[in-house]
Amino acid sequence: MLSITTTPAWGEFTFDAGQALLPGMVGYAKVMIAAVGLLLLMLMAGTVDRTDEERIAAGRASFDPLRSNRAEFYAFFLFSLTGLMLVAGADTLLWMFLALELTSLPTYIMVAISTQRNRSREAAVKYFFLGALGAAVFLYGFTLIYGGCGTARLNEIHDHIALHGINTLTMAGIMLSLLGLGFKIAAVPMHFYTPDVYEGAAPQVSAFLAFVPKTAGFMAILLLAATIGWTYDPGAVKGVIRASEHGTQLPEAVRVLLWVMAAMTMTVGNILAVLQSSVKRILAYSSIAHSGYMLVGVIAGPGDGSFTGSGVGAVLFYLMAYGVMNVGAFAVLAALERGRRDDGDAIEIETVDDLRGLWSSHPRMALVMLVCNLSLLGMPPLLGFFGKLPLFTSAIGAGEVPLVIVLGVNSAIAAYYYLRLAFVPMLENADRGAGAPRAAPFRSREIAGLLSAAGVIALAVFGASIMKRVEAAAKVSPTIAEIQATATP
Amino acid sequence: MQTVLAGILAATIGSPPEGGGDGVAHGATAMLLVPALTLLGVVLTGLCAAFRVKNKLPAWISVGLLAASFVIVLKTYLEQSTGVRIAHGFEWITFSLGQHNGGPIPFVANFSLYVDSLTLLWMLFVTGLGALIALYASEYMSHDVGAGYCRFFAAFNLFVFSMSCLVMADNLLLLFLGWEGVGLCSYLLIGYFYKKPAAVAAAKKAFIMNRIGDLGLVLGMMGTFVAFGTIQMVPLFDMISRGVDGAGQPIGGTWVEWVLPMLFTVGAFGKSAQLFFYVWLPDAMEGPTPVSALIHAATMVTAGVFLIARMMPLYTLDESHFILSAVAWSGAITAFWAATIGMAHFDIKRIMGYSTVSQLGFMFAGLGVMTSTGAAFHVFTHAFFKATLFLACGAVMHGFAGQLDLRKLSGLRKMPGWRIVALAMLVGALNLAGFPLLAGYWSKDIILAEAFVMNGPVGWILLLTAGLTAYYTFRAYFRVFEGPVEYHAGDDHHGADDHAHDRHGHDGHDGHDAHDAHAKAEHGHEGHGGHGGHGGEFHPHAPGWAINLVLTVLSVGCFAIIPLTFMGDHGGWVGTMVHHSTAHIEHAGDPALAPHGTFLGMDPHKVMYYVSGIVGFVGIAVAWWLHLAGRTSAATSRADALAAKLGPIVRGARGRWYVDEIYDFLICRPLWVLAHVFHQVDQWIVDGLVNLTGGLPRFVGATVRPSQSGELHGYAVGMAGGVAVLLIVVLLAVT
Amino acid sequence: MMTLAQSGFPEVMSQVTLAHYLFVSGAMFTIGLVGFLTRRNLIIMFLCTELMFQAAGIALVAFGRFHLDFTGQTFVIFVLTVAAAEAAMALALVVLLFRRRESLDAEAWREMRG
Repeated sequence: MLSITTTPAWGEFTFDAGQALLPGMVGYAKVMIAAVGLLLLMLMAGTVDRTDEERIAAGRASFDPLRSNRAEFYAFFLFSLTGLMLVAGADTLLWMFLALELTSLPTYIMVAISTQRNRSREAAVKYFFLGALGAAVFLYGFTLIYGGCGTARLNEIHDHIALHGINTLTMAGIMLSLLGLGFKIAAVPMHFYTPDVYEGAAPQVSAFLAFVPKTAGFMAILLLAATIGWTYDPGAVKGVIRASEHGTQLPEAVRVLLWVMAAMTMTVGNILAVLQSSVKRILAYSSIAHSGYMLVGVIAGPGDGSFTGSGVGAVLFYLMAYGVMNVGAFAVLAALERGRRDDGDAIEIETVDDLRGLWSSHPRMALVMLVCNLSLLGMPPLLGFFGKLPLFTSAIGAGEVPLVIVLGVNSAIAAYYYLRLAFVPMLENADRGAGAPRAAPFRSREIAGLLSAAGVIALAVFGASIMKRVEAAAKVSPTIAEIQATATP
Repeated sequence: MQTVLAGILAATIGSPPEGGGDGVAHGATAMLLVPALTLLGVVLTGLCAAFRVKNKLPAWISVGLLAASFVIVLKTYLEQSTGVRIAHGFEWITFSLGQHNGGPIPFVANFSLYVDSLTLLWMLFVTGLGALIALYASEYMSHDVGAGYCRFFAAFNLFVFSMSCLVMADNLLLLFLGWEGVGLCSYLLIGYFYKKPAAVAAAKKAFIMNRIGDLGLVLGMMGTFVAFGTIQMVPLFDMISRGVDGAGQPIGGTWVEWVLPMLFTVGAFGKSAQLFFYVWLPDAMEGPTPVSALIHAATMVTAGVFLIARMMPLYTLDESHFILSAVAWSGAITAFWAATIGMAHFDIKRIMGYSTVSQLGFMFAGLGVMTSTGAAFHVFTHAFFKATLFLACGAVMHGFAGQLDLRKLSGLRKMPGWRIVALAMLVGALNLAGFPLLAGYWSKDIILAEAFVMNGPVGWILLLTAGLTAYYTFRAYFRVFEGPVEYHAGDDHHGADDHAHDRHGHDGHDGHDAHDAHAKAEHGHEGHGGHGGHGGEFHPHAPGWAINLVLTVLSVGCFAIIPLTFMGDHGGWVGTMVHHSTAHIEHAGDPALAPHGTFLGMDPHKVMYYVSGIVGFVGIAVAWWLHLAGRTSAATSRADALAAKLGPIVRGARGRWYVDEIYDFLICRPLWVLAHVFHQVDQWIVDGLVNLTGGLPRFVGATVRPSQSGELHGYAVGMAGGVAVLLIVVLLAVT
Repeated sequence: MMTLAQSGFPEVMSQVTLAHYLFVSGAMFTIGLVGFLTRRNLIIMFLCTELMFQAAGIALVAFGRFHLDFTGQTFVIFVLTVAAAEAAMALALVVLLFRRRESLDAEAWREMRG
């Protein structure tokens, strides 16, 4: 649609999949988003209008279209996923900006109406205002990139950078864009909102927030990084071609920025998660930490293109893995409730202690918690391990050994709280007198959790075919040879 | 039906490259269904546990799937001619390692099955006995219907899955996966009655003992990759047959010819409870009896025999023969050692446990004297008669509230409802004792004859052991099933198997009312009230249809396999199967390799029939004289006087020659002391460091935490400030 | 650097270069940011983000003219649209919040922390 409306302005520009910088990513991303989106959809059952629906079902009220929020809620859900898919296919900065906004604008409303509590309102206000600030930052960054290169099309920007290097304006734009996109992925220093928003929103919406904006942000960052190129080489022969196969990494400034962001993000996320007692806040801080892990893959770049060698592939695979296992962890919180509040909302599982005795009251949910948290930790036979492995190997291949050490230390710190989440439900008994949580009356939430746990195991066992697809999705084009062919008349 | 399923399976997991350029025949894809079906069994029974199924559904699922697996194996056997087929499942692990000869070495381990006649031989009895024993267990475990029942059958299916991976693996890694899997299931099932300390201790013991052996297998696998550059069976055996290693050089040197076979031998000894490792197997009898029958008698413990048979080409290299010699000696010594303990014990299930160790010793001795046919045949017959014996013991245990002491049971054959059990026990005992013309006689005979040909002393030890075997087997039979009728109930209402059902009185047993009523009627009729250990309240219940059916089938099977001895051109049906597999020894019996020994100047092949038959008779006769003739009560016999005279020897055997105590003194105690030393080090030094490093994240976290003030403005300032700081950092770093 | 089209503009405007526009844009962005950080009224804070968006808009138009390319101007149209959508959401949200707390002060919403 976008290309149709804008085609007259550019005339000669038509979308050509062959010119996309990450041509394989679109298909992979759409399948992944649709799959995780289905899990999330199952989780969303009964989020809004629960009391109204119950009153209508009991015959104490009749349907009132003005009071019903259900349709809007699902519409926003779908809008957001659509935006996410569009981010994957972005080929201009304009498209990327619009798709990012389409992804995030609906989420603000979803947070606000996910429960009746004041906490949801507070979460929404923090999320919305800080989000607007972040959006302004990357919009300004996009503007500067456009100003520096004279075009908004990513592959033309790529060629411009390859031929003429990065001028100051473009570099400033790239910096601001990456920092602004840091808000979407909850990277330091744009991470502050994360724990409050995840805590304030209903758990199923938190699961949504942990996957959708993060995926959007990472795909945008990957596209930007591909635009700059992981083979940037300012030392090559001047005037002929700037990017060459001699370069082995992003421009130093970009690399340092991402390096510091990655290291800070995983460290801050993990050490703050250690101190938390609320399950949702633990998962929120750990979500920050996972963004830090994935930034390592962005720095590592496409490498030799194999599954263990490509940082781009590692990020794409990790997004999928994180989506699946994260839905499982949040699904446990969504599928259980400790009671109902006066306004009809569920009283959720708050602290880790509330999970005690889950094994005896809800063994299935305890198993989901065990499997998903061990996977989030990166235990070997599970999906999370196969997600983390290529991050390590690709970063080592790219020579980022100090960063790998930071990654390793952080993975160890993460064990502290993930093992707590995994084993408290299994091993500790509930306090006497504390009533066991009961199942929320939405079976699909429980099924979503079970499916996630099954996926965590099954995808690890049958991961080979996905890994092949990831390798194809992580292919970066155009190659150096292609640029040289077009650059030299 | 099953070809359709195989087609679906092949379509979903990728069709195999038909007849690829590697010169290996692909096919037998139906065999992929065996792991698939058993895994499905695990999932379904697991779901039963999750949904808290309270009936016998998991048992019927298991029996059905295992029977289907057996049919598939049987069909594949009937279709397959000689030779090897690779059933390609899916690509599992492929990556490149290092550089060699200018190219990376691919490390390939696919989920593929190596189907040859040895594989099929093992799979036939694994799935066949698996199905029968699952049927037996459906009744045997019935007091545990509910959570424990599902858990039992989930582990049972997982065991068959692991065993099929082990037996059919086309590479050592998959074999190792199965190897560890069966170990895990063994651990889970020995410790099934986890509320019973002895069961937990036995499970731990088995697990730890197995780990030592597994280390050997892992090292052997690594060594194989280092030496040959592959762990896949097909290229590996191809290289060995051509006499070259991975670099194309002729095989030679201690590494390949000594160290590798030795490591595999250690692995095999661990799993099959040989030599120093045997102590775990008798203790493993703490598990439910069907488990003892399937895992600790018929299948898992023969995995060591399988490993050596599979790797036989590695053992028959020029310099490797002394390893086989060592295997023969180890087997013979283990056989004799375990038999002496079995002679003195009073617990019939433990006697069978020691007997299994002893018979495994026979099999290893068979491998060691290069009659892989004899070893495999003995594995095959042993699987039948030992399963029969265990299941009969289990029926006794089930019916007499866990009573297994042969001094407290007597004359069961004469009690109504116990005839089939007694007959099955008799059939099993005759086979184990090597009674002429029965299956156990033929298989033992091959090993004995070949032992005298290859290694005289080993032959004599084995012959003596055969006599002891006949004695202790019939000691148990005569004491429990013959003689005057007398019984005392055990401690548990349902044997050692009862753990979560303490509240159940015997009379209150759900689903057993029919048996109970039956037992009561019997009791009233025969008037045995005075003998009951529970003040007249105890009534033994005779086994139901499932147990009787399985015992009947197995007993008939013990006879049905006799004709197999005479089929084919290579020493019986099993011989034919072995002949077409890697276990075949090219030059077995070649005088150039070993001296052609004699038995007192006669050809062992010709006279061993008579000799071993006579030895068996003598053993049975001694047992009859000491334990049946003139015995008037369950507790006493003529052997008591003899035992008193032999004093220390009998006490030593009863004390299991104090091996556990010696291990405890030599290994556990020093480790215990060391552990305390390390504990102190740990507490004062390491913990200090750990607390320091562990506290660091918390400390840093606590200092960072105020940044999460909850105020919108604080966050906004943090974001803007962070952006500014980062940009400055980048500026400083770049310029 | 760049002069705007000659006709129709007062003489002084012909001296206006890209740098001037960028300076204005940068100033607007900074004012918006500072306002966002210092003001506590939710509506004012939202207007500050609008200011930052429009700062980007000015820069986009200026760059478009500089490069003689329509992309910048097209971009601005979409930025305006998105800003309008955000404004609608912001006001709805503010109304919702005001109903709960009878206050527009951002500091009123600080229940969750740590």
